[in-house]
Amino acid sequence: MKPAPFTHHRPETIEEALELLEELEDAELMAGNQSLGIVMANRLATPDHLVDLNGVDDLAYIEERDDEVRIGAMTTHRTLERSDRLADALPMLPDAAGQIAGPSVRNQGTVGGSLGEADPAGNYPAALLALDGSVTLRSLEGTRSVPVSEFFIAYMFTDLREEELIESVSVPTDPFPPERSGMAFVELKRAAQTFPTVSAATAVRVDDPTADDPVIEAARIALANAADVPLRVEDAESVLEGEPLSEAGLDEVTELVTGAVTPEGEMHADREYKEEVAGEYAKRSLESAYDDALE
Amino acid sequence: MSTDSTDGTDGPVTEEITVTVNGEPVTAAVEPRLKLSDFLRYECDLNGVRVGCEHGVCGACTVQQDGRTVKSCLSYAVQADGAEIETVEGLDDDGSLHPIQEAFHETHALQCGFCTSGFVMATKELLEENPDPTREEIETGLADNICRCTGYQNIYEAVEHAAEKMEE
Repeated sequence: MKPAPFTHHRPETIEEALELLEELEDAELMAGNQSLGIVMANRLATPDHLVDLNGVDDLAYIEERDDEVRIGAMTTHRTLERSDRLADALPMLPDAAGQIAGPSVRNQGTVGGSLGEADPAGNYPAALLALDGSVTLRSLEGTRSVPVSEFFIAYMFTDLREEELIESVSVPTDPFPPERSGMAFVELKRAAQTFPTVSAATAVRVDDPTADDPVIEAARIALANAADVPLRVEDAESVLEGEPLSEAGLDEVTELVTGAVTPEGEMHADREYKEEVAGEYAKRSLESAYDDALE
Repeated sequence: MSTDSTDGTDGPVTEEITVTVNGEPVTAAVEPRLKLSDFLRYECDLNGVRVGCEHGVCGACTVQQDGRTVKSCLSYAVQADGAEIETVEGLDDDGSLHPIQEAFHETHALQCGFCTSGFVMATKELLEENPDPTREEIETGLADNICRCTGYQNIYEAVEHAAEKMEE
């Protein structure tokens, strides 16, 4: 369980990191090392060079602008989990961050690392898909922004090019004003330090949280580990929009989500089971998000 | 070892690092691939750092780096250059046990003891941040550590006991 030899590079600026990426043959970017370290310990990856981003302070921040929140790629799960500003503006993100592994992993692991790894069971990919986030990618040629809905191409495969790094993610805040919106990230996990079997990220906005039956104006439903990429189920969203949350609506959502997902079976959860869990967890997540909107 | 070279020269390439370990500066030339866990065991002779799975699952190698717990098998020694590391050996006060260690002892929170130093270090961060945790907070706070003997009940009781001791 020892990695193959490599040369360690510790740039201090984004430019330096990008120059190293361009110059070096067979280089990998290292963020929190909580997944890459495992892969390298098992020698499933044996890069000649590691470009360690932990010295690039410009990549670790949470910034609130007029109508969006921008999060630097090297922001740790711990920081997201404990951010009061995020808890207010986009509570799904601290909720998702706080459910990743245990504290020592969250102290090191980063949002950019999770997006780059692109495990479909990861928490941020589904959460950011539900929230219509975008990923900002940077190379020496410049930056480009890719919607999260287009960033994930297949299992652990993204639109990130070899000479690019993930600089930040941005999430619009205007679709879900906190005073009449709710969000939830609900996962089924058999042990804390493993990836979840299935997770459901949901958000709802209601017309008037103090009304007798607040009507859902907008709903979002995204699932993790229910396909080879994070999966949004728009058919199920539109069932809920324009009505108060009802048993009948939730039953229809459960059925639509179960029908939409295409998970791989795994040792402790076969395909059929994961399909059912996806529907059930979408329902539970929505109930929690709706309650949150009314508070 | 010449086949392990990545720059075409003979022998492994090393980097000189200085790490403050349990309050004492340690300078050593290390290969970049040397894990922090192996650095602490082999360069610093701190065998309280246990190496179980070596890929981030078991938590036996948990130490604190700059006041935060890390799994030292998922970190390279070169990344700790300039940092402060505390291992379980750094907890005692002139030979007397830390209240967390006392609590683990008194509550019989170990059987074989292999995982214990990792649990003790994880407990330290937990109680520093949350001096009076609920049972659920203890369970999530220790989620990165695995014990294959105890069934966890005595460990959770030890954390509650340690919280009482540290409050005194």
